[in-house]
Amino acid sequence: MIEGWNLVIGIEIHAQVNSKSKLFSSSPTDFGSKPNSQVSLIDAAMPGMLPVINKFCIEQAVKSGIGLNAKINKKSIFDRKNYFYQDLPQGYQISQYKDPIVGEGFVEIETENGQKKIGVERLHLEQDAGKSLHDQDPNFTFVDLNRSGIALMEIVSKPDMNSPEEAVEYVRKVRSILRYLGTCDGNMEQGSLRADVNVSVNKPGNELGTRCEIKNLNSFKFIHAAIVYEAKRQIKLIEQGESVNQETRLFNTQSGETRSMRSKEDAHDYRYFPDPDLLPLTLDDDWIKGLQDSIPELPDQIKERFINEYSLSSYDANIIVSDKATSEYFEDVVKNRNPKLVTTWVTGELFSILNKKNLIIEDSPITSKQLGELVDNIENGKISNRQAKEVLEEMCESGKGASEIIDEKGLSQISDENEIESLVDNVLNSNLENVKKYKNGKDKLFGFFVGEAMKLSKGKANPKIVNDLIKKKLSQ
Amino acid sequence: MEFDKKSLLKLGKLARISISEDKLNNLSKDLNSILEFVDQLKEIKTDQVDPTSNSLNQKLEVRDDKVDNKNSTEDVLENAPEKEMDFFVVPKVIE
Repeated sequence: MIEGWNLVIGIEIHAQVNSKSKLFSSSPTDFGSKPNSQVSLIDAAMPGMLPVINKFCIEQAVKSGIGLNAKINKKSIFDRKNYFYQDLPQGYQISQYKDPIVGEGFVEIETENGQKKIGVERLHLEQDAGKSLHDQDPNFTFVDLNRSGIALMEIVSKPDMNSPEEAVEYVRKVRSILRYLGTCDGNMEQGSLRADVNVSVNKPGNELGTRCEIKNLNSFKFIHAAIVYEAKRQIKLIEQGESVNQETRLFNTQSGETRSMRSKEDAHDYRYFPDPDLLPLTLDDDWIKGLQDSIPELPDQIKERFINEYSLSSYDANIIVSDKATSEYFEDVVKNRNPKLVTTWVTGELFSILNKKNLIIEDSPITSKQLGELVDNIENGKISNRQAKEVLEEMCESGKGASEIIDEKGLSQISDENEIESLVDNVLNSNLENVKKYKNGKDKLFGFFVGEAMKLSKGKANPKIVNDLIKKKLSQ
Repeated sequence: MEFDKKSLLKLGKLARISISEDKLNNLSKDLNSILEFVDQLKEIKTDQVDPTSNSLNQKLEVRDDKVDNKNSTEDVLENAPEKEMDFFVVPKVIE
């Protein structure tokens, strides 16, 4: 990224488990509820309350581990991570320290130099904290414990990424895998998936630099911007002869800058120890095997299949499989249809409509069935590509089907050769002067004849047939 | 293990508790007597025993992913010294 400097990036992803109730209590996990309306006495850490683990959350962590090609640990331990903060009523977070539920794995990402393997260090289960609001009152902080105790999967990468682009690709890939597995909804705006990014810089050949951690990034754009800013900041410090302090920093989404959050001298001392309220978690082989068998086709496999089955380019396949809903949509439309045409219409026209309306594909105004009907009309020559764009727009506006709109508007393309031949004859006969010029070498007039014939047909004639017939007639 | 004043002040800071100078001596005496007791426990050989293992070979109890929102906002906020608009209210905290 910056000439003469190496960039080393490691990422911790916090992914909220897609469970109805919390990790150690039966409180609901719905987003956007009234403050403190989803809090049990366990979540509020009243004395005498005991945590009981949610079986579903264990399953989702193991499934995610399998999706990340990782080792599943048959024995794992829950520890207390002690720190004092107003949104952590227990005074400690139940997490996993030395013995996480999932060990080493990897994901593959696409880079400009081809495929790259990014190592995963571990995945562990832990509780989310509550939420502090600092801007409600000048003198007080307001605390909402709805999120307190919700199950998170913390996925820690190895420091294997070397550019902001690779970092973004890695988070995208992990998010996509979790969404295919259904273990996390990946909704970054609602905070279901957020990233802490560790950045350091060094000169090639030198030992690694001191890293800074940038907390709580909740969009791909912010991840990229924070890394770029942080790398430049560190390089500037070093070039000025100063040194980088190991610290936690916050990214300001308004200014695009990072600022120090905690300095090293009051670095946390978490005093981890095994939670005496929770026995070790043990998993048996048959149970793990059962989950392995339930893993759906994942993006890498689907991409491979799309390339083989539908002859998609690696580029197109990548775009389509990066999102589960998109690949399902594509597969619905492509059945028994021309894959090339379908790819163009899904990644081209449909995507541009969704972008314009700022919609995700799940909320597409055009269902896969409706787009299929439109593609059928192009494939059988009833309408041209240009007309199809018009029809698609109308479909969005009115919600009507493609065939219905084509009939209503009389858009149907004329593909009848006899009909087109009479049009062409008509054009050539009324432009005898130009026909003469063409035959004497003025090639450019060819387009003029085509244009006239199309005009005469009110744009409905099949342009290919018009072209062929004019060529044939003029060469006679 | 000896609990000196410096460790005690650090522990106080981590727990956000201020410890006044005149209490330091008594507190470190108290804590040291607890630690001495722990040292005594440490004499038992446990290197062959897994942490949190138990003689009944009990396994971790699990529950199904079912929602039961049994405690109301009022229950949860009942003992809060300060509350407003269903939030807990605490002195301003800025990171």
